[in-house]
Amino acid sequence: MPTVVMMDVSLSMTRPVVVESSEEFQRKNLAIHGLTMLFEHMATNYRLEFTALLAFSSLWELMVPFTRDYNTLQEALNNLEDYDKTCLEAALQGVSNVVQQEWGSGCPCQVVLVTDGSLGIGRGSLRHSLQTIKQRGEDKKFPLPFLFPSKLYVMCIASAEELQYGDALENLEQLLNLNGGEGQIFTMEGPLCLKNVQSMFGKLIDQAYSPFHAVLRCGNLSSDVQVFPRPEPIQLDEEVDPTPRTILTELEIVGFIEIGDISSPPVLSRHLVLPIAVNKDVDELGTGAPDEMEEDSSSTQMAGKSPNFCVLLHGSLKVEGMVALVQLGPDWFGILYSQADSKKKSNLMMSLLEPGSEPLPWLGKISQLGPTSDAAENPYGEDDSKSPFPLQPKNKRSYAQNVTVWIKPSGLQTDVQKILRNARKLPEKTQTFYKELNRLRKAALAFGFWELLKGVADLLERECTLLPDTAHPDAAFQLSHAAQQLKLASTGDSQYAAFQHNITPMLTDFSGGAGDRDRL
Amino acid sequence: MKMFSASHKTAFVVDHCHYMAESCRQQVEFDMLTKNRAQGVIPLAPVSKSLWTCAVECSMEYCRILYDIYPTRKLVNYIVSDSDCHILNSWNQVDQNTQELMARLAVVGPPNPSEDPECCSILHGLVAAVGSLCKLTEYQHEARTTLMDQAERVNNRGRIICLTNAKSDTHVRMLEDYVQETILEQNKIAAASDRLMQIQQCELVLIHTYPFGEETLVSDRPRKEISSVLSSEVHSVRAGRHLASKLNVLVQQHFDLASTTITNIPMKPTLNVCDQEEQHANTSANYDVELLHHRDAHMEFIKSGDLHPTGSTPRDSGLKETVTLKWCTPRTNSVELHFCTGAYRISPVDVNSRPSSCLTNFLLNGRSVLLEQPRKSGSKVISHMLSSHGGEIFLHVLNCTRSTLEDPPSISEGCGGRVTDYRITDFGEFMRENRLTPFPEAQGADGAGKVPLERAKGQLERHTRYWPMIISQTTIFNMQAVVPLANLIVKESLSEEDVLTCQKTVYNLVDMERKNDPLPISTVGTRGKGPKRDEQYRIMWNELETLVRTHVGSSERHQRVLDCVLACRSKPPEEEERKKRGRKREDREDKAEKNGKDSEAERSWQESERLKAALEREKDDLPESEVIKDSPDSPEPLNKKPRLEMEELQLPEKAKGPVSLFTMWTNRINAANSRKHQEFAGRINSVNNKAELYQHLKDENGMDSHENGKATR
Repeated sequence: MPTVVMMDVSLSMTRPVVVESSEEFQRKNLAIHGLTMLFEHMATNYRLEFTALLAFSSLWELMVPFTRDYNTLQEALNNLEDYDKTCLEAALQGVSNVVQQEWGSGCPCQVVLVTDGSLGIGRGSLRHSLQTIKQRGEDKKFPLPFLFPSKLYVMCIASAEELQYGDALENLEQLLNLNGGEGQIFTMEGPLCLKNVQSMFGKLIDQAYSPFHAVLRCGNLSSDVQVFPRPEPIQLDEEVDPTPRTILTELEIVGFIEIGDISSPPVLSRHLVLPIAVNKDVDELGTGAPDEMEEDSSSTQMAGKSPNFCVLLHGSLKVEGMVALVQLGPDWFGILYSQADSKKKSNLMMSLLEPGSEPLPWLGKISQLGPTSDAAENPYGEDDSKSPFPLQPKNKRSYAQNVTVWIKPSGLQTDVQKILRNARKLPEKTQTFYKELNRLRKAALAFGFWELLKGVADLLERECTLLPDTAHPDAAFQLSHAAQQLKLASTGDSQYAAFQHNITPMLTDFSGGAGDRDRL
Repeated sequence: MKMFSASHKTAFVVDHCHYMAESCRQQVEFDMLTKNRAQGVIPLAPVSKSLWTCAVECSMEYCRILYDIYPTRKLVNYIVSDSDCHILNSWNQVDQNTQELMARLAVVGPPNPSEDPECCSILHGLVAAVGSLCKLTEYQHEARTTLMDQAERVNNRGRIICLTNAKSDTHVRMLEDYVQETILEQNKIAAASDRLMQIQQCELVLIHTYPFGEETLVSDRPRKEISSVLSSEVHSVRAGRHLASKLNVLVQQHFDLASTTITNIPMKPTLNVCDQEEQHANTSANYDVELLHHRDAHMEFIKSGDLHPTGSTPRDSGLKETVTLKWCTPRTNSVELHFCTGAYRISPVDVNSRPSSCLTNFLLNGRSVLLEQPRKSGSKVISHMLSSHGGEIFLHVLNCTRSTLEDPPSISEGCGGRVTDYRITDFGEFMRENRLTPFPEAQGADGAGKVPLERAKGQLERHTRYWPMIISQTTIFNMQAVVPLANLIVKESLSEEDVLTCQKTVYNLVDMERKNDPLPISTVGTRGKGPKRDEQYRIMWNELETLVRTHVGSSERHQRVLDCVLACRSKPPEEEERKKRGRKREDREDKAEKNGKDSEAERSWQESERLKAALEREKDDLPESEVIKDSPDSPEPLNKKPRLEMEELQLPEKAKGPVSLFTMWTNRINAANSRKHQEFAGRINSVNNKAELYQHLKDENGMDSHENGKATR
């Protein structure tokens, strides 16, 4: 989940902070101090996060495009200059553009707005923007809510009391509401000083940038992992189930499926699953020789050399072309697989499926998936040539069952001509002829289109008269029989017009065997 | 879309009164001239559909699209109204398919023109529709039962689509008022009933249909709130294709659908006979096929504002748009896991047209097609994929923007990444054995009463009770001879035959030991040529015992396999003695671990098992002491350290009880070192192993353990 840091560089940020100590701070210094802390945290605990830095006053500028290089971000932060007044709307529009250009509109982003809470005056002020929000055309819409899923964190280098004095807090809250309530406003508690700005950013870090640690299990094999980016809670149907679902910190593998069988499932999000060394493991390794631990160059090197289940799993998934189905919560599953970034680099990836008992129709209910050994016969075949997947739906879809649609005349004409074409090839095509005839009959009856039945009957009778002398004698019998049956159906007489009834070929001396006739 | 939105329940009310028997006055030629037809034959007169036929086939088309895209959870109740109402199906999922409806419509037949016009009315059907909306669907029932005390969260909304021939605007207003009153009435009844639900919201869609060439008597009216419960809209459309396109637009609106046109579909000129009669068959051309699907498949276009230009063209109706995506001829059927953000069922607009059926058949045969999005800039982006899964075709949305996970660290850079001898192939085999397979629901209930998934978890647990991850950690899993036992012992229950096979495996091992066959003991991390043959067998037996022991609780037959292992493995008597002692210690460790998790206990147990093996090996190694090659003072590079730290441990001579590893180590080093040099005179003369050094200096002491090397460093 990429982050955009919006840094207010308007003149009001240079207001000095009254501190009792000797050093004099500007609000800007406090802001930079807080952001430095955030960047340091990310560089160590969240280093795969892409972050961009955007500075704004009445104009905005992308100081650092999305990067994982936190030194560059820090450097840019230290070299910010001071500009004129705050104009938030333009900057938010800027964020919207920057994010969409880089990540499209489907990628969730976090926006960290750092400001002193003086949000401008007159045109371009947040107050003005919010007042005129309903009087805009399509082309000048307010940038919130963002088109991409987002969380907006407002870091105010000001105390709550200070903000309440004007309408700043109110305006910011309105801003958050515009974004669907996604996000939070942080204010300084106590006097403006380094310590309090640290505690405010500390709260942001806890809220938005705490790494997600979990244990990946497969029976008795397990590994401590970090899941990145952090999986966020998701809400299914606000009416029936308003509590957001969060994934468990105990990820349990329930079984394995071939990549071909899972076949590119739609996923909510993708996450890297990175094995991590938790201290207790290192301790265990070291129990025998505590002295030697000190000699070891680093514990990470140590961790690299002790077997880890994730690496084993990844290797086998990659070689076998399989995925592991992993339980994320009650009725919620994900898949683990090897994802190759390039030829050399690959990693263990987890995709979250839609929560629910049946996230993929072609797998059926997940709870009904069981071990192959329970089946009477190996569903994969003895030589792995078969697969129990995909499951077939109970009803065939319209395109798989040769439905009759006559909305366009061509549909009806095609069906009539299929009958005619087969009629001319009687008796060889007797079966197909009656099959097509019955299909048309059924549809005409359902649609209450009796006129068509009469029409086709006439058509068949005429075909009968047009039969060449060389025609097989059976053809004439079948045609007149079929015509007669259609006519009877078109009367609506329940005996002949029953939907399930099928017109069967007439048994003639030429078609059926003698035995058949005897039975009649 | 919310689960219980108005689209959850759709009641179709179709007028079956005598006036619906009127012709729609659009003629269909069905006697078309074709090739090799005798000259001079006068074609038969064209046929014309009735208003009823038009209404039925258009409503069935609506249902066809609906069922294709939402096979479950979006339900239709089909009602026909004449002198009475005929409810053709229920909300039950089993009733939700077009074949059933067609069969029941055939029973109804076309309207009877001779029926008494006085008793015929659409009102019967509307009353029945309101009544139906009050009835619970299976899904509502299930949700209410699950939510229990919060059952009020389950909403009851619905839609009535009424296809009729109204007389005037006043008539339409009368119908609306009637529906409104009926809802109020039925809601009162529903409030008093457990089996019914009050209607919270009802959308009435009145469609007035009239023959071609007539003036309409009813005017269109957009949606309007009649009351807090009822909203109503009026559409006035000519029968035939106009009605069809109206219902096509409505089904898209009602179910959040959008249209995609697949363009540039190549069709081979060698078509089967069908194309001979295809009127407009220009077989060499590339075809276009229009598909409907949930509009979320276009989310990226909608958001980026790419929807309107080049990529889309207004359709016949002029109301809806379609996004054009270009067919990319599929490569070989490579199995690939695409990053796919959504998959939506499709329904072809023209289901039985040749191009549509060619495309759908191609897909149903198991091929996937990537679709390319034409961009303004001319760049090409693969944005979608069409693929079928079990007879259903889905439009997959592929991610085509930059990934936030690009350039991730390779797995080889992380924890465990430097280990090279993982049992990748064995784990692959393990995964194949633990593949999942679907079981029918009824069957799931039996078998210890566990759902299949829980049984799958159980199997994984059993199969991993003893599963060393790297080759150098195991002997038995590197031995072909152990395979039959290893495969069987993990089973939940063993047959007599299985026990026999296991026993045979064990006897076979005994045989190998007698013949002194070599064992695939890993020499990784051990210095020298590794343990001796009989020691190898001891390691193997220990490991085998460990494996079998983890399953001993499963059944009495598992116990018999263990008994067999214990009986067959060779153990010198004094070793047995030590074993007992070792086990006591184990027990203690076990108890200590009991507080932690089971798996940890398991691991520690394995650990102590390994320790035991190491201890035993040490005993054998001790007299030779060939293991130590390095001089005691040279620092030990960690890289060359054996994986099992304990391998180097030495058993204290005549151990009287548990000894710390440190002591064992020290003693061992002492013993090894003592053989490499002449003992100091000071030490020989020492008292209590202590000799005063540099006695002449007097001011220094405590250097006594200097020679002990790194143990005290």
